[in-house]
Amino acid sequence: MYMRFKRYSTNMASSKNKLTGFLKWIASGWMLILFFVLFFLFWEYSIPLFDVPRYILPAPTEIVQKGSADIDKLIYYTGVTGLETIIGYAIAIILGLGFGIAISFSSILRRTLYPFFVSIEMTPKIAFAPLFISWFGFGLLPKVIIVVLVCFFPIVLNAILAFNSLSNELTLFHRSTGANPLKTFFKIRLPAAMPQCFVGFKYAAINATVGATIAEFIGSDQGLGFYISIVTGNMRPDLAFAGIFFLTLLGLSLFGFVTLMEKILIPWHISMKRINK
Amino acid sequence: MDQFIKIKSLKKVFGEGEDEVHAFGPVDISINSGEFVSVLGPSGCGKSTLMLMMAGLLEPTSGEISFDNKSVDGPKNDIGIMFQDNTLVPWRTVEGNIKLQLELRNLNLSDYKDKIFDILKSVKLEDFANRYPPELSGGMQQRAAFCQAMIHEPNTILLDEPLGKLDAMTREKIRSDIQNLWMINKPTVVFVTHSIEEAVQLSSRVILISPRPGVVDREINIDLPYPRDLEVKKSNKFYEYVYEIQEVFHEYGVI
Ligand SMILES: Nc1ncnc2c1ncn2[C@@H]1O[C@H](COP(=O)(O)OP(=O)(O)OP(=O)(O)O)[C@@H](O)[C@H]1O
Ligand SMILES: [Mg+2]
Repeated sequence: MYMRFKRYSTNMASSKNKLTGFLKWIASGWMLILFFVLFFLFWEYSIPLFDVPRYILPAPTEIVQKGSADIDKLIYYTGVTGLETIIGYAIAIILGLGFGIAISFSSILRRTLYPFFVSIEMTPKIAFAPLFISWFGFGLLPKVIIVVLVCFFPIVLNAILAFNSLSNELTLFHRSTGANPLKTFFKIRLPAAMPQCFVGFKYAAINATVGATIAEFIGSDQGLGFYISIVTGNMRPDLAFAGIFFLTLLGLSLFGFVTLMEKILIPWHISMKRINK
Repeated sequence: MDQFIKIKSLKKVFGEGEDEVHAFGPVDISINSGEFVSVLGPSGCGKSTLMLMMAGLLEPTSGEISFDNKSVDGPKNDIGIMFQDNTLVPWRTVEGNIKLQLELRNLNLSDYKDKIFDILKSVKLEDFANRYPPELSGGMQQRAAFCQAMIHEPNTILLDEPLGKLDAMTREKIRSDIQNLWMINKPTVVFVTHSIEEAVQLSSRVILISPRPGVVDREINIDLPYPRDLEVKKSNKFYEYVYEIQEVFHEYGVI
């Protein structure tokens, strides 16, 4: 009974914390919202004020207006680009984690593949895009490959860092128990590595939409990158901005999803950060 | 009594060439089964190094360690170790951290249900079983780490400054807990500490280590009755031991 009461009271306390946390978030969010409102108001009213031609820069209201007329296409293309992004990102996570773990645990790979990856990291991966298009055509495949390429490196390099930085005392601790490597991996190494892995996942999430868009600029017949390059060529910056808006939405959703996964998979890490503040 | 732990010309040198650090030894120590031995010495004299070598977690440069005539040639899994830095993981609660020790050792969790509660209660952490380590104070973390190190009921225990981060009052309390635990089960305990009083209060024998490279300066048998409560601590004999040890370290210039 006593225990139950205890638990109940701690739950109360934590939901109260959540509430004040939410209020704080709103309070700090107001500044940002206000900034956005002012930004768009300035944009809207400076166009007639400075007599900017609409084929150079349209006003936000016009972008919304013209964009909604083209909404079916925009949504469909968001789906196309989104699919390329998500497939590429997912493959990059699987490959990045796989190679990251393999390199962390094999001294041979650490002396061969690791320096190889570090040196490739220096080349701008996006420069390969035209080659991939010429090899694999206009379809989904070259875009996915390019997304994988721009996402893979931050993931693999952070994973290597993550799996190699187990603290000295935890290493001694698991060795003292005589636990087998598999058990040690799942109960100690993997959870300890997760926070640093998520640094890579987040960085890659930002890269992912950039990779898909540039790949579409170079050669495609659908997707938001394709849409933006076509309408820009037709002197329709209003529609280009509408496309950019949907791309931003796509990028934000992916990043938001990864942040949510971090909260769900390693809640202890976020609460640790909060306490250390 | 049989000599349970035997340490023969044990020496540790870290690094090579210019980076060489002669950390410890050569040292000979023997410890009987059921003894409570304190290892006392200034910072950097190699106490932790000695502990890690005894636990089979660090290879000696030369010399040998044996437990019950079996020489140590790899990590020893049948002992309990409390490391100087705590080994609590942030992704598990206090209770989860204690279970981690059992899980890694393939022990059956259900056999230890009551024991987990009992040991938490003995260090007054029973209300914090469901808290995560970052939510605890430094002293509470150290008490939780103590529970984690002891839960599998080892009969040889190596403790590396287990009370280092505790406040004076809790320190006093845990000292008597450790003493009770030792008096009931009579495990062999090797207890590393900086505190002269702590060493005299708890141990049947104190081993004094010189500054780096640490060698055994002398061993002092503490001939005081157990349990060593406040009454014993107030006695002249207790203080004679404390002064004797203080003098040794005074000569080294460490106090
Ligand atoms: N991995 C290592 N590499 C190089 N030198 C080391 C290493 N570990 C310890 N040393 C050196 O060995 C000496 C003894 O270290 P140790 O940690 O055993 O001291 P200690 O007696 O436990 O000190 P404290 O009381 O401060 O914990 C120190 O001079 C230290 O710098
Ligand atoms: Mg030490």
